[in-house]
Amino acid sequence: MKQLVLDLLLPAPTNFADFVAGDNAEPLYQIGQWLIRDPHARSIYLWGEAGTGKSHLLHSAARQLGTTANLIDCRHDSLPNELPADGNLLADHVDALDEAGQIRLFDLYNTLKEGSGRFLAAGPLPPMLLPLRIDLTTRLGWGLVYQIHPLSDADKGKALKQRANLLGFELGDDLVDYLLLHASRDLPSLYRHLEAVNTVALSRKKPVTLSLLRSVMQQDQLAMDF
Amino acid sequence: MTDMSSLWQHCRNELEQRLGASQFNIWIKPLVAELVDGTLQVNVPNQIFLQFIRDRHLGLIEMAAAEFCGGEPPQINLRVGAPRPASAPAAVANTSRSSTQQAAQSVGDVLATSPSAGTAAQVEKKAPRRFDASAGNHEVTRLNPLFTFDTLVTGKANQVARAAAQQVAENPGAGYNPLFVYGGVGLGKTHLVQAIGNLVHHYNPQARIRYIHAEKYVQDVVKAYQHKSFDEFKKYYHSLDLLLVDDIQFFVGKDRTQEEFFYLFNALVEGGKQIILTSDRIPREIEGLQERLTSRFSWGLSVAIEPPELEMRVAILMKKAEAEHFKLDANVAFFIAKNIRSNVRELEGALKRVLAYARFTHQAITLEAAKEALKDILAAGNRLISVENIQKTVADFYKIKVPDMHSKKRARDIARPRQVAMALTKELTQMSLPAIGEAFGGRDHTTVLYACRTIEEMRQNDSEIAHQYGVLLQMLRS
Repeated sequence: MKQLVLDLLLPAPTNFADFVAGDNAEPLYQIGQWLIRDPHARSIYLWGEAGTGKSHLLHSAARQLGTTANLIDCRHDSLPNELPADGNLLADHVDALDEAGQIRLFDLYNTLKEGSGRFLAAGPLPPMLLPLRIDLTTRLGWGLVYQIHPLSDADKGKALKQRANLLGFELGDDLVDYLLLHASRDLPSLYRHLEAVNTVALSRKKPVTLSLLRSVMQQDQLAMDF
Repeated sequence: MTDMSSLWQHCRNELEQRLGASQFNIWIKPLVAELVDGTLQVNVPNQIFLQFIRDRHLGLIEMAAAEFCGGEPPQINLRVGAPRPASAPAAVANTSRSSTQQAAQSVGDVLATSPSAGTAAQVEKKAPRRFDASAGNHEVTRLNPLFTFDTLVTGKANQVARAAAQQVAENPGAGYNPLFVYGGVGLGKTHLVQAIGNLVHHYNPQARIRYIHAEKYVQDVVKAYQHKSFDEFKKYYHSLDLLLVDDIQFFVGKDRTQEEFFYLFNALVEGGKQIILTSDRIPREIEGLQERLTSRFSWGLSVAIEPPELEMRVAILMKKAEAEHFKLDANVAFFIAKNIRSNVRELEGALKRVLAYARFTHQAITLEAAKEALKDILAAGNRLISVENIQKTVADFYKIKVPDMHSKKRARDIARPRQVAMALTKELTQMSLPAIGEAFGGRDHTTVLYACRTIEEMRQNDSEIAHQYGVLLQMLRS
C-alpha cells in the first residue's frame, strides 16, 4: 500500500545559518556590519546569477531586523510611498521595477541616504548593466557592490547534505556526485530534486538511494519532454 | 604562558593547512585570539561571522588546540568584538597578525575606525553625524553641509561651472538667474549647487534657502492638491531667497507641476531671488517640458559639467579617501581611476569597496589588494561594450535609425552620428579599423580613420560635439 505524503516542501531558507558561504565571505561579513548599523556599510547591492543565494541573504537580514524590516520583492510587491530617513529598505529583484517603481526607489534611496537609513538590494547584474534608469543604477553602484559567486561543487555538496539533513535523511557522496553531474547545477534546482526524491522515498517507504534518485530524475525529465 | 601564546599560532598553522590559503584568509585571518581567565577567547568581527565559525570551523580549532595541549585543551569561547583592552598583555595574536595590523595602522586610522574593532554600540557611537543642524540648518534648507566649494574637486570638466557657481553664491539674484547646470548622471551637479547654497547660508544665515529634488517638488504639488493646501504651498515657496531644484527633467510630462513652477519661477526672478536648476541636458533638449519653461531656463546662464578626466578622477579619490581619514597611495588611486571611468558615484563605490576589503582582511591597501577587491567589478565592466551596443546608443541619441549606421546615406544628420559611432567604437573596443568599417556597412578602413580624425578635430573646436561625445562615452561606459 502506498504511503500518502503531505505535499509539504521546506520553505525557502531564511537563516544565515543555512547559507553556505563559499567564496562569499566578504559580502556576508558586510551584511553583518549592515545589520549592526556600521556607517561604512549603509548601502549594499548584491548581484549574481539566479540561485546563488541573494534572496536567501536578504530574507535572512530581514529576519534579523524583525518587524522593522521593509523587505520588498520588486517582482510582486509595491515599494512603500515613504520611509523614515533612518529606516531600512531591502529590495530584491530590482531589475523587475517598472518606470514608476524606479522613480520611487530612486526617491526612497535619496531619503535613506540623506538621513541615517540603510539600503540592501539585489539584482541579476552589476548596477551599470541593469536595464534601469541611469540615475538609479549609479546610486546602486554608490555603496558597496558585491557579486555573489556560485558555490564550488564541493560547497554545493555541503549545501545539499545540509538540506537533506533538514529533510530528514543522510545524503551519500554518490548521490551528490550524480546530482552534480546530471542535474541543472543551481542550488534551487538541486534542492528541488532532493525534495522530489524524498517525497517518492517517503511514499514508497524506501530509503533514498542512487537508483531511486536516478529513476525520479528520469521521470521528471520525461514529464518535462512531454 | 609562552606555550599558551604559541597555541593560537599553532591553531592558525593547522587551519591554514587544512582549509587552504583562500579559505584561511577569508575566515581565520580576521580572528583575534586572547587568553581570558584560562579560556582561549576568539574574537570575531560580527554575529554572522560567529555563526559561521561556530558551525564550520570551531571543530577544527578545537582539534588543533587539543593536539597542541596533548589532550587537555583550554575551553574555547567565541565572542563578537575586539580583544578586551585589559587583556592586552595576554593577547596571543601571532606575530604576523600583529605586523599586518601595524602596517594597516601606519597608513591611516582605517582600522582604528574599523567596525570590527568595536561592538555594535561602539559603532553606533562612532557613526559620523552627516548633518549638523546648527551648522547647515539642514532641516530647513535640506543642504548637506559637506557639499562645499572646499570639498569640490575642480578640473577641466567643471572649472567653468564652478566659476559661475561661485559668482552666483557671492551675489545671489543679481547675476545669472537662473543658473542652469547640466551634465551626465553622477558627475557632481548636486555637490556644486549645494556648495552655492552653503556659501550663501554662510554669508547670510538669515537667507531663506531650500534645496529640493524635482521629484520631491512634484510630490509637494500632489500633496498640496490632495490636502487643498495650495495657499500654504505657494506662500512657502514664494518666500524663498534661494531655490535649488535638482534634476529638473523629472518635471517632464507633469503639466500641473510645470504650471506651478512657471508661476513660482516668475515670482522669484521678478523679486530678485535666485534660482538654480540642474538637469542631465540643456533646457532646449528636455522633451516634454513646456516651451515657456525651457525658454525661461535659458534666460540666465547654462553651464555644463563634463565627465572628469583621469587626473581629476584621481584627485576625487584622494579627497574622498582623505574624508575617511585615509591616505590613499597614488598608484592605487590611478589604478581605480583608470578602470572606473563612467561617473563619480561608481568611482566612490569602487573606493568604498577597496576600503571595505582592507578592513575585512586587515590588510594595508596596496595595488594588489585594490586589484583583488575590484576583481568582479572590473570583470563585469570589461565584457559589455560591443559595436552593436554603440550603434544603438548613438542612433537613439541622435534620433536616427540603427540601419542608418550601415546605410550609404551621406546627409549630414546621418553621416555625423555615424562618424561619432565609429570614433566611439575605436575608442571603446579592441576592434581593428577594417573590422569597424565592416560593421558600419562594409566601409573601407580609411573611411573609419577619416571619421575618427574628423570627430577628434570637432571635439577640439566645437563644444557641442565635445559635450555630446562626452555624454555618449558616459552612457556607454555605464
